[in-house]
Amino acid sequence: MRRVWYFIREAIISIRTHRTGTLIGILTTAFTLTSFGVFLLLYHNVNNLLDRIQHNIQIIVYPKEGLEPAKLDEMKQFLKSNQIVESLIFISKQQALEDFKKQFPNEIHLLEGLPDNPFPSSFILTLTSSTPSTDVTAHLMNRLHDHQDIERVKYNRDWIERLTLIVTYLQWGALIIGGILATASMAIIANTVQLAFYTRQEEMEILRLIGATRLFISIPYLIEGALLGALGGGLAIGFLRSGFAVFKHRIESLSVIGGFSSAFEFFPVPFSLTLLVGGIVLGCMGTLATMLGWMKLR
Amino acid sequence: MIQLFHVTKYFDGRVALTDISLRIEKGECVLLTGPSGAGKTTLLKLIFGSVPPDDGQILVQNRNIARLRRTDIPYHRRTMGFVLQDFKLLPHRTVFENVALPLIIRGLSVFESRRKVAEALRAVGMDHKQTTRASVLSAGEQQRVCIARAIVNSPIILLADEPTGNLDPQLTMEIADLFKSINAKGTTILMATHNRQVVDRMNGRILRLECGHLMADQGVYA
Ligand SMILES: Nc1ncnc2c1ncn2[C@@H]1O[C@H](COP(=O)(O)OP(=O)(O)OP(=O)(O)O)[C@@H](O)[C@H]1O
Ligand SMILES: [Mg+2]
Repeated sequence: MRRVWYFIREAIISIRTHRTGTLIGILTTAFTLTSFGVFLLLYHNVNNLLDRIQHNIQIIVYPKEGLEPAKLDEMKQFLKSNQIVESLIFISKQQALEDFKKQFPNEIHLLEGLPDNPFPSSFILTLTSSTPSTDVTAHLMNRLHDHQDIERVKYNRDWIERLTLIVTYLQWGALIIGGILATASMAIIANTVQLAFYTRQEEMEILRLIGATRLFISIPYLIEGALLGALGGGLAIGFLRSGFAVFKHRIESLSVIGGFSSAFEFFPVPFSLTLLVGGIVLGCMGTLATMLGWMKLR
Repeated sequence: MIQLFHVTKYFDGRVALTDISLRIEKGECVLLTGPSGAGKTTLLKLIFGSVPPDDGQILVQNRNIARLRRTDIPYHRRTMGFVLQDFKLLPHRTVFENVALPLIIRGLSVFESRRKVAEALRAVGMDHKQTTRASVLSAGEQQRVCIARAIVNSPIILLADEPTGNLDPQLTMEIADLFKSINAKGTTILMATHNRQVVDRMNGRILRLECGHLMADQGVYA
């Protein structure tokens, strides 16, 4: 217990004597982790979006024009019988027209010149959320394409593939930028701790003189590094939170994609913890880097 | 207690100690003398384990210091006390905190360390200044506190390197007497000094070093 108090007190003394350095160390760590966090946030949200879309992948099947009701019913049974089709909605020509009128009331004049209802009837298939590979979907697509009574099939797959690619890019970007920034902030933390370290050479010599182990001597410095890192991490989370709130507010006020705003969310607690732990790890590594040479002394 | 067998130490290719063999028994009071640069400090450091010998063996309490792993050195040091010429106290800490440090390192309980610190400070006549900051103490008082810190762990051996080097003649005699009284309680003392009066006052066995050679071992002439 005495030792614990001793360590904490030493760490605090060290921090107090190097306020500027400490502040710089905290801010760099915060900056590093914020930049990394932005990527994490992007990644998380795009991934989320992908998930959502994947969860309601829809295939729209347009039957040939003027098909008899019996044939349509047959097609409905055929579509329903498929394993990966979770639900199926039939939208008749009439209903499609109504939907259009409801959704785009200002655009009704476009229909005026047309002699007949231009909208085709369609089946909207929702796939089961557990739909595994694209292979299974591709197989279904092939069968639909080959069906004699089907005019056209629409499937939003390109979209998903593109989004998946973006997610991969983001992953790599986060890794590379995160790596570079982590090294930088480690170096700066190392520098901060080093300052504290050099001004206290005398004290460490005394500790060695009375038989303190290297671990005992280094623990306050490790605590200092960890504390800098943790504060930096906490600050980064704060930055990200407030930055995200502003961003979301802006999005909401934009009418075009305003509806989308609910899709964006701040990353969950485990991610925040990752940032915090990341900060602590950075801090400790910085300290260890500083102390490596000193550790070799007898 | 302490045995050296043909110990040689080089610094940058130049000899600091050559073929030193000696034996110090438990409870002895040994004075290491000789001109500046003779290797007195080096000999103490070898025994303390802060420099490794280039040749020969050093046994302290039957432990071979030359073969000690680096991680074992701190534990080796805890069995000894070391008093230096420049006092080496933590200036912003109180007398109590300075003397308690070796006990904190060993993880002693609050109760036990209070008792031990008080005891050590009483032995050096400084128990009335427990809460004084080390930086405001006089030179003689600082050295007393250093001695208290060196004996708080009840070491078997007390090493001292010019402990009176920064003190006036009056204080020098007081500190010499202090070492004598510690020795009288059974602690082995090995002190490097070129102060003739200290040597006379301490009245112990004299080891004389010259240019890295052990010249004369005059035995105990008490
Ligand atoms: N770390 C070191 N690196 C290089 N040379 C050293 C080192 N320590 C001691 N020496 C050399 O070893 C020799 C013995 O030094 P030492 O300090 O043991 O002498 P000393 O007897 O204690 O002298 P003094 O009475 O002045 O304290 C000297 O020539 C010194 O320059
Ligand atoms: Mg010396």
